[in-house]
Amino acid sequence: MYNYLLTFRSLTYGQRAQRAVQSIGISTALMRTPKILSENGCGYCIKIKEKDLEPALAAMRKIHISPINTYVKNEDGSYEKVMA
Amino acid sequence: MIYFDNAATSVMKPVKVHRAVLEAMKNCGNPGRSGHKLSINAANAIINCREKLGKLFNVDDVETITFTQNATHALNIAINSIVSPGDRVLITGFEHNSVMRVLDHLGANIQFYGTDLFDKEATIRSLKEKLTPDTKCVIANHVSNVFGFIQPIYEISDICHEAGVPFIIDVSQSAGVMNIDQKRLDAAFLAMPGHKSLLGPQGTGVLISNYKTKPILYGGTGSVSELISMPDFLPDRLEAGTQNTPGIAGLSEGVDFILKKGTDRIFAHEMYLKRRLKEKVSEMPFIKAYFSDDENCQLGVISMNFEGMDCEEFAGRLSDGGVAVRAGLHCSPMAHKFAGTLGTGTVRVSLGVFNNENEVQRFAKFLTNMNLSVKDR
Repeated sequence: MYNYLLTFRSLTYGQRAQRAVQSIGISTALMRTPKILSENGCGYCIKIKEKDLEPALAAMRKIHISPINTYVKNEDGSYEKVMA
Repeated sequence: MIYFDNAATSVMKPVKVHRAVLEAMKNCGNPGRSGHKLSINAANAIINCREKLGKLFNVDDVETITFTQNATHALNIAINSIVSPGDRVLITGFEHNSVMRVLDHLGANIQFYGTDLFDKEATIRSLKEKLTPDTKCVIANHVSNVFGFIQPIYEISDICHEAGVPFIIDVSQSAGVMNIDQKRLDAAFLAMPGHKSLLGPQGTGVLISNYKTKPILYGGTGSVSELISMPDFLPDRLEAGTQNTPGIAGLSEGVDFILKKGTDRIFAHEMYLKRRLKEKVSEMPFIKAYFSDDENCQLGVISMNFEGMDCEEFAGRLSDGGVAVRAGLHCSPMAHKFAGTLGTGTVRVSLGVFNNENEVQRFAKFLTNMNLSVKDR
């Protein structure tokens, strides 16, 4: 289950992050950032499984990209900001 | 038709370019605005093109590669990002009006270096002489759109770096033909069209930025929408409004073709055709052609005149005979001034990757026949 959301400031950064993560064999999806989570309005995020979070962040670091924020989705559907 | 007007735009494109444009028109929504499949299709088409351009120009941070309408648009952004009214700007004597008119509009103090046709050493010497501490930026076109003169951009870049002066390069005629390594150049900006030797559709251009940018177009970007100021990050900062996704999808296939074929091979092909043309035309005393003695000083862009004939009539006769060229001043009056052809203009023959030796031979034969028919008048 995808339960982590990594938000990015623009589509291009989200796409680059997605491609870096996919290049190490991790499945992910690019989507619009939920309005409640988007700082300053409108953005893109990628969904990641918990077990893939650390290697995904490492793949992004290699291309000098980091998410604005990382959120975990709770069972009740709410999001909680976590330290990556 | 023999199409020798590739310096204006390429008409012959890889079939995949045509297909990609049509596919994008059918299957692409608005990139960066929504999360549905068609919007993501568009976003993918655009990032694919950015990544291919990054590979071609050796740029890792592909967000610094932004799409524009054309090279003129890209140069407007680049120049406006650096130059303010009254600033001293050094430009070669062979710049296009896409540089001249922007600087004139800004009220810049324009100074020329590199005004000697086909003399790279003179370009370097005059740059060193004229590069003062108050120079705001240096501009050069890599290849003259009138004479094919190849400027020594790597040497110019080194001199600019040493002086701490930003360097803007107009690679309109060389992008897709010559190896252009932005990591080695470390230029402030590289500006180019997508529709010439990059083989994309008209309405596409590219700006590679390595300097603080100033937008000239403001509006929605699909990012940080609560802010009324433009985003402070690329590419969004320079890409307000809906992008030309079909054009960019086509450009992506054009760049893909170049990456697969290799600029070394494309360059060698054009240089070979230029040599063949030079051999043929050199036997024609009724043609005054501007070829460089130094093979490495000129790409496949050649200006010429027919003795006793206006350049527009010359081009008209060629057109009637099925040869497409461009006559006049080619939007580069200073290039003509420094080469001594401002009064007459020239006919420009510009070769491309899809031209071949047979076309050069047919063109030469046409010139010979044209000379005979003119004599018979």
